[in-house]
Amino acid sequence: MVREVSESCVDSLLTEMVTSYCNRFYANKPELAARRIEAIGYQVGHQLSERYTMERPRFSDHLEAIKFICKDFWSELFKKQIDNLKTNHRGTFVLQDNKFRWLAHMSIDPSVDNGNSVEDNSAITAENKAAQAMSMHLYFPCGIIRGALSNLGIPCAVSADISNLPACSFVVRIKA
Amino acid sequence: MIVCVAVVGHQNNPLYIQSFTEADDALKLHHIVHCSLDVVDERVNNPKKSGPMLNETFLGLLYPTDNYKVYGYLTNTKVKFILVTTDLDVRDADVRNFFRKFHTAYVDAVSNPFHVPGKKITSRIFAERVSTIVKSFGLNSAG
Repeated sequence: MVREVSESCVDSLLTEMVTSYCNRFYANKPELAARRIEAIGYQVGHQLSERYTMERPRFSDHLEAIKFICKDFWSELFKKQIDNLKTNHRGTFVLQDNKFRWLAHMSIDPSVDNGNSVEDNSAITAENKAAQAMSMHLYFPCGIIRGALSNLGIPCAVSADISNLPACSFVVRIKA
Repeated sequence: MIVCVAVVGHQNNPLYIQSFTEADDALKLHHIVHCSLDVVDERVNNPKKSGPMLNETFLGLLYPTDNYKVYGYLTNTKVKFILVTTDLDVRDADVRNFFRKFHTAYVDAVSNPFHVPGKKITSRIFAERVSTIVKSFGLNSAG
């Protein structure tokens, strides 16, 4: 049985969740808001991995589980696979998505463009702010990856890197 | 007839255990399930002795006793399903089929946002689904 979810609803829900946690519940404590959002992602990933690994043999090593995240898991979530996977063979994996869906509809505050020529300083701070707001939206997918891997028996830490948008990299560090 | 099914978490903590007998032998059945956990561990750690396919979720017959046969299933998320039956001529396909349905029911139960991972499954709907699956076991073996 295939169940579908409207993409725009998920987008709006994600945006609303991030704004609620950042501006309402924990307005002055961004780290706490980030932790809460990550925890929600963790639970989602935990439950999704249970469902999506149902019809497959057990994974024999970490790489196989990571590959599952890159291919099948990502396809289920975003209808595309991870574009690039790098590893140092010592427990660190970099999963790069060249066009991450949840950032695709996000735009930087237009005031940045206007202010750019007039006042450089304010542009930089605005850009910083935008990057910060964007990184808030990435705690949720990070949590999803961490939850999925933890449920598969791989404790890890996941962080996101958006230095070259719209590409987005997720760095997975497996805890020995 | 299936006399007992169990779901056991990755730290060998019981998540769900239910016997389906009239007699007062729940303790004995729990003991059988408990013993089978060691067999599961052994199968997983020495894969060469295990069934037809490496790393398959279905672990096959764990051990036969005088009156019971015990089957096991281990998911990717290290959750074990144990099935105790009194039928002595069970077809593998039936057991596989049972575990597949059981796994689906389990996944639906733990996907409930109110379920706390690692805690016992208290869902009434899950219990009902399980007893339906247990009752239908072996009935449509011709199909």
